[in-house]
Amino acid sequence: MVAIKQQFEVPAKLKTWSLALTAIGALAIIIGFVHWGLSPDQHQKDIFWGTVMYNSIFFMLITNASMFFICATTLAMGGWQTAFRRVPEAISTVVPIFGLIAFSVLIYITWGMGSSTHIYQWLNKAQLEKDGNAEVLKKLGFLNPYFFFIWTTLAIGLWSLLGYRMRKLSREADEASLKGEEPGRSFILRNTISAAVFIVWFALTVGSTIPWLWMMSIDANWYSTMYSWYTFASSFVSGMSLIALWVIYLKNKGYLEYTNEEHLHDLGKFMFAFSIFWTYLWFSQYMLIWYGNIPEETVYFKHRVQGPYKGIFFLNIIINFVCPILILMKRSAKRNYTLVTFMAVLIIFGHWIDFYQMVMGSIRKESASLSWLDFGTAAFFVGMMIYIVANSLSKKPLVPKYHPFLKESLIYNT
Amino acid sequence: MSKKKFVVAAFDDEDVLFPAVKKVRTSGYKIHDVYTPFAVHGLDHALGLRETSLHTAGFIYGITGTTTALSCISWILTADWPMNFGGKPHFALPAWIPITFELTVLFAAVGMVLTFCYLCQLAPFVKKHHFHARATDDLFVMVIECTAKTNVDDLMGFLSSTGALEVNVQVAEPEWWLGTYDKEQQLIKGSHVEVA
Amino acid sequence: MHLKYESPLREPLVYGTKDYHQVTEDIVRPIEAKPSKLWYIGFFISVSLLMFGVYAVYRDVTYGIGQWNLNKTIGWGWDITNFVWWVGIGHAGTLISAILLLFRQGWRTGVNRAAEAMTIFAVMCAGQFPIWHMGRVWMAFFVMPYPNSRGPLWPNFNSPLLWDVFAISTYFTVSLLFWYSGLLPDLATVRDRAKTKLRKKLYGIASFGWIGSTKHWQRHESLSLVLAGLSTPLVLSVHTIVSFDFATSVIPGWHTTIFPPYFVAGAVFSGFAMVQTLMVIVRKVFGLGDYITMGHIEAMNKVIVLTGSIVGVAYLTELFMGWYSQNKYEGYTFWYSRANPFSPYGWSYWGMMTCNVLSPQIFWFRKLRRNLYVTFFMSVIVNIGMWFERFVIIVTSLYRDYLPSSWSVYYHPTVWEIGFYLGTFGLFFTCFFLFAKYFPVIAIAEIKYVLKTTGESFKDKMDVQEVLETEEFAHKYVH
Repeated sequence: MVAIKQQFEVPAKLKTWSLALTAIGALAIIIGFVHWGLSPDQHQKDIFWGTVMYNSIFFMLITNASMFFICATTLAMGGWQTAFRRVPEAISTVVPIFGLIAFSVLIYITWGMGSSTHIYQWLNKAQLEKDGNAEVLKKLGFLNPYFFFIWTTLAIGLWSLLGYRMRKLSREADEASLKGEEPGRSFILRNTISAAVFIVWFALTVGSTIPWLWMMSIDANWYSTMYSWYTFASSFVSGMSLIALWVIYLKNKGYLEYTNEEHLHDLGKFMFAFSIFWTYLWFSQYMLIWYGNIPEETVYFKHRVQGPYKGIFFLNIIINFVCPILILMKRSAKRNYTLVTFMAVLIIFGHWIDFYQMVMGSIRKESASLSWLDFGTAAFFVGMMIYIVANSLSKKPLVPKYHPFLKESLIYNT
Repeated sequence: MSKKKFVVAAFDDEDVLFPAVKKVRTSGYKIHDVYTPFAVHGLDHALGLRETSLHTAGFIYGITGTTTALSCISWILTADWPMNFGGKPHFALPAWIPITFELTVLFAAVGMVLTFCYLCQLAPFVKKHHFHARATDDLFVMVIECTAKTNVDDLMGFLSSTGALEVNVQVAEPEWWLGTYDKEQQLIKGSHVEVA
Repeated sequence: MHLKYESPLREPLVYGTKDYHQVTEDIVRPIEAKPSKLWYIGFFISVSLLMFGVYAVYRDVTYGIGQWNLNKTIGWGWDITNFVWWVGIGHAGTLISAILLLFRQGWRTGVNRAAEAMTIFAVMCAGQFPIWHMGRVWMAFFVMPYPNSRGPLWPNFNSPLLWDVFAISTYFTVSLLFWYSGLLPDLATVRDRAKTKLRKKLYGIASFGWIGSTKHWQRHESLSLVLAGLSTPLVLSVHTIVSFDFATSVIPGWHTTIFPPYFVAGAVFSGFAMVQTLMVIVRKVFGLGDYITMGHIEAMNKVIVLTGSIVGVAYLTELFMGWYSQNKYEGYTFWYSRANPFSPYGWSYWGMMTCNVLSPQIFWFRKLRRNLYVTFFMSVIVNIGMWFERFVIIVTSLYRDYLPSSWSVYYHPTVWEIGFYLGTFGLFFTCFFLFAKYFPVIAIAEIKYVLKTTGESFKDKMDVQEVLETEEFAHKYVH
């Protein structure tokens, strides 16, 4: 009988590196702010704020995907993920913090810059009237700073709150009092209820309204009913990759003794399957707009496929579809720590690029250039994410020892 | 094909079967096959069978389907009979993806099933010697091929000691032949022509 | 050899004290026994419906589809509605055997065989509609691309209708292969128990000479896994392509990008409802309550509330975008032709909303999920609702064209359109009754595979493991 390493100790090196990454990122953001953000040219300002915006949204959504994963597997009565479920829990602790950042950025754009920004043209009513943009003027019942503020607050607030509730419930699985059938049953039931509430709210926000409000409304005239589900698929597959990365990191450091390549295999399957799912949604949206060929709709793809974003547009498909399908198809690949690590990094990068073109492709139509500001901002969020997740991991035992499904997870076989 | 002599041992519990398989193999006997009513997880490894590469075949069939669809459609719509459909370019790739996908799946699935049937010699009217009628019901039937050196009595005793429910000797044709199951199976002697 | 353990919190999937032989007995019994009176009555009704359908189709071919009430703008009415409805129902079988395999839902083993059979029959029914709608059905082979003496004139590969030809035929073929390859071992079981010569002969032919060799099982598992993997995107693609039939056009209410995933969710939704309808009957008629347990019924009801809600999100998304797009044609279609209860077809939209989105919400309550009467009633309601959904999509988008002069409000099906639809019910149930009589309705080998982990009588044996501390358990059983 071997005791397991339950307490994660944050290696000093990880702390230093994550803080250094955050600092470099912060420096990049500050220089970017001075360079673009203080520029008298509004377009330059928009580029700066757009960059910070898509990064904060992206990193918040992919960390929130961890909580979605926990809730979805809880509702499906899944047992296999129990051995490592503390990892997605720790990742989801980032949501309130990144949520606050995203919230500040979004509110600054809608309230601080207000009608002067061109990111959201719907903020400038006078200009819309001048342009005779009757369509957008009629949408102002939905696209207005007040509703934006309320809905954004509610969305981020409830994701954080409901996520917190799930994590708090999970603490019970560390106590021996959960042993036995009755406490276990009640524990699962309470988990199921909390998870259901989260999922419902998730469907009403990430699955529908939030991507319309935050991102699709940048092209205020354009619309696509698929947009939110597409955004969800993009963030979910990156979220799964992020979980895989942390699981592998902890395995490498000698933790998570109960997690093995069987679990990795299933994480790999999720990465593989949802990469294909993302492609499916991508294709459906693109093909239908291409086929219908209505100018109001093709306007979104015009400069992305034929203009300056051409390279990024096709890179997006190569990274997010061709690579996963070719590399992760084989069973042995999904069980190989190095390959899964490589693919996870690639997928997260790929969907980051996707978010870049979704947001910046609409703000900065004239040219596409992934600059040091994009990478710097990403570094800021990545560094911070590493720091916070590592910290959260060290706060709780790594294995929920009395979780009713833990033993199923241990003998899990794919 | 010629008939061979086999010692047949039937077990009623896979928890008994596994140690028995291990013992029989370490004792140097050659297990011809084990017949089970369902897929017993891990039994193939216990028997030392190599992994099947059926899925690799499936991948190749799939790729064939992709290539067939893409090359045929692109040749037809760009070279053989180019037509203007709704102002789209002749090389209208997005519109070809659905059929390409379907043919990929179709080729892979049909190819794999045919390969599976070929490898396992499964087809209508195929008949094989059945060592135990309950092997498709509730017994796990281990069949050991006898060589000239095999001491049948020893082996039978040994198998009984491993927990076999039933042990017997059968001389049988190990290959398949054409026939139907309403005719009597011949177990002991003669050629593989069925007797009515 | 793997440890047979699962959490005691999980409901058994097989009730009663069973051993392997008992499983065989229970499932094969209906095949070996004489069919009950109920079976004969059901079969007779199905065949009568089928005959009526055959007559309706005979008239279609003889007099042409002019005998349907299709008109200027509604060029597709009941026929395409029924086509989409049946294809959708088919999806549950593949979902249960393929996607639930990926999501590790153990309960799929009890219902997958019947659901796959249902898939095949539903696709057969669906296929009738486009085929007979061709009018000159003897020209049906024109849809296949082959070098011909007409130019050669190829079909239009850019047309979603041709994609459908490929999608439906591939789906049918692959589902059939998947189902039949799974059936082989079970047919061999029936063969080896057969008492009469005829049965021995027929099941012998049908079971392809399967004898359960380990190597064959190994390949069989690999085959099932890959076919499941292939079927997962395939099932998505089929209803996706059906949705493309509408969404690639520029007709308001049809040209919307969410159609593909939303059609798939709706298909799964209606398919599960049909599986419920059949399972509730099968467990009763054949006494298979030990295998199709309340746990199975509850799990399927959960899928119904999930997919119903997904469909609900899609409906609301579309309705919202009808306004948000500020496209007056979209707005008119969604907010007048559909959502306005006083417009000519408003009733169908609200019927759809009630049946598909609102009523399944009762399944949030465990008591109702586990009530057979409620389940059966809801399964019928959902399928009515899903029929309405297709009717709403098709008719409300078509009856008011861009030209008010060609508006046609009143589209009533003729008795021959209705007869054709009823005929497909006849076909479906005739096939299902035959299947239930001559094939094992539950996958025998798969039940045996999970028996010792999920069988009620084996649960006690897990107490040994259950009392262990995690570390001891890991030390003992994890290698």
